Parts: sequence; C-alpha cells; structure tokens
Amino acid sequence: MKSLRGRINLSFLLIIAIAVVSFMIISINRSSRALKDTSVEYTLKLIQMVNEKIEFYIENMENISNIVINSSDVRNYLSTNSEQKVYTDKVEEQFRILMETRNDIYNIGIIGKNGRYLINNPDTGLNPYAKVEKMDWYAKSLEGGQVITSSHVQNIVSNKYSWVVTMSKPIHDPFSDEVTGVFFVDLNYRSISSLGEEVNLGLKGYVFIIDEAGDIVYHPRQQLIYSGLWEEELDSIMSTPDDVLASADGSKLYTLSKSEVTGWSVIGVTYLDEMLSSTNEMINIYYVIAIILIIVAMFLSVLLTDKITLPLRRLQDSMKEVEKGDFEVEIANPDTKDEIGNLISSFQLMIGKIKQLIENNNKEQEEKRKSELNALQAQINPHFLYNTLDSIIWMAEDGNTKDVVLMTSSLAKLFRKSISNKNELVTLAEEIEYTKSYLTIQKMRYKDKLKYSVDVDPAIEKAEIIKLIIQPLVENAIYHGVKCKEGLGTIFIEAGYHHKGILIKVIDDGEGMSEEQLGHIFDEREIDTRKSGVGVLNVHRRIQLYYGKEYGLSYVSNIGVGTIASIYLPDQTGGS
Amino acid sequence: MKHKWLKSFIIITVFAVIILLFILNNYQKLKTDKEISVIFISKRLSDTNDFWASLIEGVNMAALEYDIDLTIMGPDSETDYVLQNKMIEEAIAIKPDAIVLIPSSYTVTLPYAKRIEEAGIKLILLDSVMEEEIGQSVVATDNHEGGFKMGEYMKQYLDETSVIGIVSHIPGASTAIEREQGVREGLGEYEKQIVDVVYSESDYEKAYEETVQMINEHPDISIIIGLNEDSSVGAARAVKALGLTGQIRMVGFDSSIEQIRLLEEGVFDAIVIQKPLNMGYLGIKMAYQSVMNKTIASEVDSGSVLITSESIYTKENEKLLFPFREEREE
Repeated sequence: MKSLRGRINLSFLLIIAIAVVSFMIISINRSSRALKDTSVEYTLKLIQMVNEKIEFYIENMENISNIVINSSDVRNYLSTNSEQKVYTDKVEEQFRILMETRNDIYNIGIIGKNGRYLINNPDTGLNPYAKVEKMDWYAKSLEGGQVITSSHVQNIVSNKYSWVVTMSKPIHDPFSDEVTGVFFVDLNYRSISSLGEEVNLGLKGYVFIIDEAGDIVYHPRQQLIYSGLWEEELDSIMSTPDDVLASADGSKLYTLSKSEVTGWSVIGVTYLDEMLSSTNEMINIYYVIAIILIIVAMFLSVLLTDKITLPLRRLQDSMKEVEKGDFEVEIANPDTKDEIGNLISSFQLMIGKIKQLIENNNKEQEEKRKSELNALQAQINPHFLYNTLDSIIWMAEDGNTKDVVLMTSSLAKLFRKSISNKNELVTLAEEIEYTKSYLTIQKMRYKDKLKYSVDVDPAIEKAEIIKLIIQPLVENAIYHGVKCKEGLGTIFIEAGYHHKGILIKVIDDGEGMSEEQLGHIFDEREIDTRKSGVGVLNVHRRIQLYYGKEYGLSYVSNIGVGTIASIYLPDQTGGS
Repeated sequence: MKHKWLKSFIIITVFAVIILLFILNNYQKLKTDKEISVIFISKRLSDTNDFWASLIEGVNMAALEYDIDLTIMGPDSETDYVLQNKMIEEAIAIKPDAIVLIPSSYTVTLPYAKRIEEAGIKLILLDSVMEEEIGQSVVATDNHEGGFKMGEYMKQYLDETSVIGIVSHIPGASTAIEREQGVREGLGEYEKQIVDVVYSESDYEKAYEETVQMINEHPDISIIIGLNEDSSVGAARAVKALGLTGQIRMVGFDSSIEQIRLLEEGVFDAIVIQKPLNMGYLGIKMAYQSVMNKTIASEVDSGSVLITSESIYTKENEKLLFPFREEREE
C-alpha cells in the first residue's frame, strides 16, 4: 500500500487481528476446558442429587418398615404362638394408615413362613400361581437380611401386576426372636424412575440407575437394551473407581454416583457432541465477537488515520499545486498544534519565503532584462555617426547648406529618439518615423544608389512595439544588399496583420545572401562589424527577451534577387 | 512499491479467506446439523392398546436418538383406512424426508402409499405389508419365524397320538398364512397331525365358539395353537371353561394381561410375543438410514420371543409383557 493511510490501516489491522486471534485462541482453549469441567461437575452434582433423593426416599421407607417390623402387633400376627385374628384389625389399621398417607406404596404386606399373610387388607389374596418362596427378596429376608430389589413386576397379589421396587425385611417372633416371616413394601416404580426422568442432561443425555449387581433399576431405554438395540458399558461402569468414565467409542461420558445406603448407582450419560456443541456455540460467539471487534477496530483505525492523514493529504494537495508553480495556493491553518500542525505551519512559512524569493528573483530578472535591453539599445553604431558626420562635413564644404540642414536634423531626430526616449516601447508609427530619419540620411549618403518605400497598415500604426527593431534591419539591408548591388537598390518596408500578430517586413532587392551567409546572420561574431550597428541578432534577442520564444526575426534570401527580413510580433494595438 | 502492494494484498486476502472459511465451516455445520423430518402414520393412535402404545414409544425413542423432527399421525380406529388415506395425502403435502407407515388396508392403502414414493419421499412400512411390494424397507415381526417358534416348542409335548388344532384369525390374511406355515414347519413331522384349522375373525367370542366346536368334533385333541391374541385368548377361555386345563396343551400368540394370567395359570404353556417397541424404533431408524442414503435391508425382523410361565418375570421379558405405563390391573 502506497499511502501512509493504507499502511497505518494495515498495521492496525495486523496488530488487532493478531491480538484478537491470539486472545480468542487462548480464551477458547480455556473456556472449553472450563466448560467441560463445569459440565461434568454439573452432571455430577445433578446425579448426586438424584442419588440423595433416592437415599432419602429409601431411608424414609426403611424407617416406616422398621416401625412395622418392630410393631408387636405385626410380630404377634405371624407368631404361631398367638391368635392371628386378635391382631388382624390392628395390622390392617396400620397398613391402611400407611397406604393412605403414602400413595407411592403399591403393596404393603407381611408373609409368614407358616402361611399366614396380610397384604394391604384382608380381602387381598395372594396370586395362587406366584411362588413367593422362590422370590429372591423373600428368601433373603427370611435369612435375616434387608433387601431392596431392582425394578420388577410384582405378581404376588392376585390380578395385579405393577412395576415396583420392593423393600423387604425379616420379622422376628416376639418370643423366640426367630425369623417368622417377611415384611415387604412395594414402592411405585414411578417414584424412582421419575427421579431419573426429571434430570435433564442436554437434549440426548439421560440418567439411569443400576443396582449393586449391575441390574438395571431404571433406564429410559431399558427395553431397547434387552432387545440388543441399545448398549451401556455396564462392565466398565461396574469396575471403574472413578466418578467419570468415557465410553469406549468416546461418544458418551458416564458420570457415576454410588449410594452406600441403597447400593445403587446413578449414572448420568452426557453426549460429548452435545457438550461440544455448546463449546462450538461459544466458539461461534467468539468468532462473531472477534469479527465485530476487527470491523470496529478497522472503522476506528480508518477514522483515526483519516484524522491524521487528512491534513497531510491537504498539505500534499497544496504541495502539488506548488509543484505546478502556483505559489498563491491557499494553505489552511492547521487545526492542531501537533507534529502535523507544526509541519503545516512550517510549510506555510516556507511557501511564504519562497514566494518572497521568487518575487525578488523576478524583480532582479526584470532589472537585469531592462539593463540588458538598455545595453542592447545603446549600441548604435558609432561608425554610422562618423560617416554621417563626415558626409555633413563634405556637404558643408560644398556649401550644400540645404542638404546639411536636412541631414543634420535627421541625425538629430535619430539620436533624440534613440537616446532620449526612456520607454522601451514606441508606437509603430514612431518607429517608422525613426527609420525614415535613418533612411533619409542614408539616401543622402548613397544618392542614386538607394530608394525606399514604406507601406504600413494604418490600423496598426498605433501598435506598440519595442523600439529600434526596424532600423537595424534596414541598416543590414543597406550594407549587405543594396550597397553591393550595381545600380539602384530599393528597400521596401511593409507592416500589417499576420495571423494574430503583426508582421513587419524589410525587403531589399539587393544581391541577396547565400545559405551560408544566412546561417551566419545570427552569429554573435557578426554583431560587432563596422558595418552593422545594433545588429540583427540583437534585434532578435530583444524581441524574444521581451515577447517570448514564439516571436522573433526570420530571413529569406536569394542570391541576385534580394532578401526579406520578417519580424513577427504580438498585436499590441492600443498598447498594454 | 509493487512488492509492498502484493504483500498487503496477500495479507488481506488471507484474512478474508480465513474469515470466509470460519463462516463456511459454521454454515456447513448448520447444514449437516439440519434435522431430517419424518412423519409416522400409525394404524391407530391410542395409548389404551399396549401394542400400539409401545410401538409409538419406540418411534419416539428413535426420533430422539437420531435427531429427527417427528410428526405422528393416525386414526383412532384400526379399520379407519379412509381417514388414514387422507392423512397420507396431508403428509405428502408437508413433504417430509420420509414417511413411516403402518398401512390400514392390504389393498385400499396401496395407491396412496404409491403416491408417497412418487413424491420422492422415502417410505418405510411397519408391521404390515400390502398387495404390492413397495417402500424402502418393511419392518415387521417375522410371522413365519414366530409360528415356527410355537410349533417347535410344542414338539416336546407331542407323540404319534397327539391331535393338533389351530385357531387362526382371518383366512387369507398374510399374518395368518405366514404364522400357520411357520407352525407347520416348526412341528416338522407332526404337522400331519393337525386335524383342524378354525378362524376367529379376530373375535374372542367367535374364537371361543369355534374352539368349543373343534373340541367337540375332535375330543382327542391334545394341542391347540392360537395364531393371534383374540384367537389365543378365546381358545384358552374355552379350554379353561371346559376344565381341560393341563389336558390340552396350548400355545398362543401376542400378549395381553389376560393371556399372561392364563400363562401363569398354566392354561397356556407358552406364548409368542412381538416386540412393538423395537418395531417402532427400527422403523424410524430405517427411515433415518434411508434418508442418509445408506443401504438398508428390504425386510427387517423386529423380533419375537417365546415366553413360558417360568420366564415371565425375567428382566428381559418383564419389559415386553408389562410395558411401563399405567398400572396393569383388572
């Protein structure tokens, strides 16, 4: 980028982009790690909460169970030593109260070894086809242990099939303290499963519960698992000592929480791609922020650089004007007092000084030109003066007074014009008059050898021209043309409009000049001949000095035919 | 100067490309993340029936699993094929990626189902087929296999003197034909001992009557095989009512709470049950794979299981026989 503005902008862009991108990379790295950690932590907290809820629930049930199994009514009911009927009402009352207060209890009952039983109420019968003694929980509790089953369908109540979690405890004989039967309570499976269902682990994530043996208590896709359409890595889950376990294919993350109370493990399943998607979301937000930052920064950078470079560019424009030669250009005053302000002030100062210098220079040049012009004008051929004076002497000796008067007055006129007039410019008419004075003198000197005619367009008589430009040409025409010619020579002076300027011609029918002579006509060396006074080159230089290069003097000549000298000048009729 | 220009140009281009890549990357992700849409048109939208409710549960599970934008439609009655055909038209108008259909009728549904494929929508059939083979895949219970399991299981109770009766549901129905064939193959050489096949028209009463009549006609009958829920239960009721429990060995098809109780009681020696949840799940899975242009089998067996009184309460079978929903109580 050529401009300062572009370079500053690019540098800004680079710096900002590098800063933003590195910031972004670091942030993304840290945030994704933090996000993952938080996510795992969050899941762990959630499932620990589920576990606590289950524990609380089960402990609550245990307390209820303990009340029942320690109740002497219940113990007596099953004891062979007591009369069953006496206790029926009391046990029934106890069960009824419990079932009324806890609607999550499906069945509550006691089953004695001796065949006595009471489930819910005396009207409830045992399912004749269910083999209670073969049920795990019954057998284990008879041996004296407390059992919390996995989820299962309870079928011991006739005509009732419910998904429940069964808790069972042994009942001891009030007298012998032997185990006489089993107390059980069937808890609605829903009250457990809903604890798992209500946990939200992302869109696809879920919670499942397994018991100590690794059997599934609750799983939202339990049936799919049994059908082989869904798999959980139960073996690794059962054997891991950690809280968190990635699945073998890396798509899922198992978060575990095992309860010491129930022996159950609550396992949270989170999908890594979902976790990633929240990371991706975050990354996207970072990208958007980064892009916005870069755009805003670019915008600001453009504004700032504009602020910096605008005065610079204005300065540059001014400088370009100056470069073109316009020193009159307006330079606005700087808005600020900073480096650029100083620069502008300096530039203003500099331009001022340069302007002054140029003015001085112009003045000097003018002076120089004037003095040069003066010098050039002053060069009237002294030989001419001697010769003329000689002629006057000759004429005076001859007593030719009339001619002496004429010549002397002409000479006087000539000198007055050339010396006295301080102005550089004269009218064409004056210049012609001056030339005529010269020609009068020359004609008298050369008698029959010289003849002249003047033809000036009256419209341009008032045109102002620099003085002493025709006479030297006439002088040249006489000395180089007419003088060398046998017999009478004629000089024609013509002046008229030509194109947009004025063309003055001095034509002679003298012997003419060769190419070589023509070539030498503007030679410096030729100036100072005795014959020539002011000189042709002098005229040419003055015209160009005064009017410019496009104006000046030109010659056409043919040997034996004559010479035409043309002066081309700008039209300054009326003078300015 | 030219080099500097080039440099800055390259830098700007690189930046532009990087930003563009980010955008494209995310855009593509958005594109691939776009859910596919599937409309499931059931034969019956009712959660009072375990079979259909389980099936829809499976459908929902798979939809969640495969990130599918799922719409479920279906008439309230299994026989309302007119309404179902209307729903098929509605579904086509929505232009989903795939339609999973349980056709209500073997014949009448066919032209509508064909329109699904003509509209460029992938079609997966569930549970039943139609008179022409259409669709990307059919997910159903292999009825032949189910029948075979019944026949093979009963072999243990058979000898040369056994007399076998079959209570089927509808003559000519594809499920009836396939299950009967399966039974015959499962029985092997005892197949010849089938003395009668009666039809219940999927009605308990009719099944009961036909069974009583069959027993009367063949008093020496020792094996009765029911080929669907109504037929099996009706036949079992008859056997129980006639006090022939234990004398006549029975195997039934499909499950209901009554059937389970009859199994517990020993009226049935075994029942073969289907896996509707798997059917629904696999149906959506096939739809997903078909939309994803994966090759899928034209026929997918959703499976069946033979259950005896001993195996009712195994973990695997409990879930099939007693789907979690409302408590099953009579």
